[in-house]
Amino acid sequence: MREFKPLPAQPAPLDTVGPIRWMKNNLFPSTMNSIVTILIATFLISVLPGVIDWLFISADWTGTSQDECSKEGACWVFVSAWMQQFIYGSYPDSELWRINISVLLLIAVIAAPYRLPTNLRNKVGLPLFLLFPFICLTILDGRLIGLSYVNTDFWGGFSLNVFLASASIIIAFPLSFLWALGRRSDMPFIKSVCVILIEFFRGVPVLALFFMGSVMLPLFFPEGVNIDKLLRVWIVLILFMSGYMAEVFRGGFQAIPEGQYEAADSLGLSYWQKTLLVIFPQVIKVSMPNILATFVMLFKNTTFLLIIGIFEILSTTQTALSNSNWLGGHASEGYIFVAAVFWVCCFSMSMISNSIERKLDTSHKN
Amino acid sequence: MSNEQQKQSMSTDEDVIVIQDLNKWYGNFHVLKDINLTVKKGERIVVCGPSGSGKSTMIRCINRLEEFQRGSLVVNGVEMVEDVKNIEAIRKEVGMVFQHFNLFPHLSILENLTLGPIWVQKKPKEEAEAIAMKYLERVKIPDQANKFPGQLSGGQQQRVAIARSLCMSPQIMLFDEPTSALDPEMIKEVLDVMVELAHEGMTMICVTHEMGFAKKVADRVIFMDGGEIVEQNTPHEFFDSPETDRLQLFLSQILQH
Repeated sequence: MREFKPLPAQPAPLDTVGPIRWMKNNLFPSTMNSIVTILIATFLISVLPGVIDWLFISADWTGTSQDECSKEGACWVFVSAWMQQFIYGSYPDSELWRINISVLLLIAVIAAPYRLPTNLRNKVGLPLFLLFPFICLTILDGRLIGLSYVNTDFWGGFSLNVFLASASIIIAFPLSFLWALGRRSDMPFIKSVCVILIEFFRGVPVLALFFMGSVMLPLFFPEGVNIDKLLRVWIVLILFMSGYMAEVFRGGFQAIPEGQYEAADSLGLSYWQKTLLVIFPQVIKVSMPNILATFVMLFKNTTFLLIIGIFEILSTTQTALSNSNWLGGHASEGYIFVAAVFWVCCFSMSMISNSIERKLDTSHKN
Repeated sequence: MSNEQQKQSMSTDEDVIVIQDLNKWYGNFHVLKDINLTVKKGERIVVCGPSGSGKSTMIRCINRLEEFQRGSLVVNGVEMVEDVKNIEAIRKEVGMVFQHFNLFPHLSILENLTLGPIWVQKKPKEEAEAIAMKYLERVKIPDQANKFPGQLSGGQQQRVAIARSLCMSPQIMLFDEPTSALDPEMIKEVLDVMVELAHEGMTMICVTHEMGFAKKVADRVIFMDGGEIVEQNTPHEFFDSPETDRLQLFLSQILQH
């Protein structure tokens, strides 16, 4: 019998690997593509130096007033002078540590699933996650734990955007899951209640919901009962978010093969065991990209709150722009700063969700 | 000699499944017509028939994956009624193996096997894992315990699915075309496990077209068509002298190759 001997591997021909080949393949594969490449390159070369010069090179970085903005470029002094307002709003100077602690807590809550050992993850991580909005509320408000009371009128800046968005998302998460389950339910009453809730909060523009929360809702309260505006907005955000998330989850449920439900049933698992142990983890995995998209949307939608007079970052920026000491036309700097802050946060959220997706991916072969 | 064999020899006459005048409709479509079937403890039954004949639907009624509109069904002395607790009680006694394995892809093999014992039977984790490893060894893949279903071949996945059902120590095992989705080379490894299980005295109802398997282990072979049981007999009689022309035609179709 003939013996089989594998051939030795040989190096690839030189013109099929390396940077030159890459450029040939990706930038100049055909005449048309080459023209487009050259056009884009020309555009970038003509525009980029000016932008970089304005943003960084001839920009003013240090100082305390706009008189120190002497150069041609951007006046970042405007942003640094207002930085505390942009981040913390009008929260009292001496109490800023409370916001810092809340932010650290938020980071801890996000990092917990990665760092905690598996057996603690569900017992500690999950309750911490669900309790975060209330812990954070207690710390910032201060009355319950004997700190000085800070009225919500003083809350503001980017930290408010972050807290409102995260607190809404955290509550909306279980709520929307229940709505989605309800919508799939066989029980007609539960089903119709869930359908109405979902379709209402998904179908009405978020701005209209904000106005309802801030203007209309108080009309229905009895005389003397005054629910804090921020609390009303928080509830609106939760319900709005739940409407969207419920549909995201419903899509996830539909992507799970019928056989998974049948296998769980045939093992004798109860409805809630089946839903939480078998279906939910798989729903989260397939829905992750859409969950993130909804998070990002809600996070950016918190800037709409400037319309009903809540001092989140965008409304703080507008206040700063109309301040009599800073009437030098710093709108570009202000808005670029806001855009950059949001972009950094949203991009980080993308990275986190990607890593969660990788963590949940068990289909790998090896 | 295993416990199951001893138990079986003591109570061979016990009827574990009694189906009487079972009828099922999908809307207006009559899928199961007057099904009558009694299965004794330790009996091995193979169900065959053309697709759409209602054979899968029938065995899925036994653990209530399908509901039926008329007739009665008693499993292990418990009558199937419209009640969650009752259904869960019956499902604990009945294991099921599916055509497409239906392993839980987000759980490791070991976790797939321990899920039922831990959550349904409330066993401590260590005990559940010991049972799981015992059954993984019986289906000859203990070394795959910490992998995920996506990393296993079809035949291995189906063997895990069988082990998963066995971990619940069921009285009855249902097999719904367990080898239909497998590559030819993998069918044997799954059938070997099933034959072994049959020899240990497990009560089995198996929907399959593996006629070799039917001849080897079945006590009774059932032929279904158009939602009714057309014919049932011992394998010897079933294959050698079919009573109806319909079965004769069916056998001539599948045994030609």
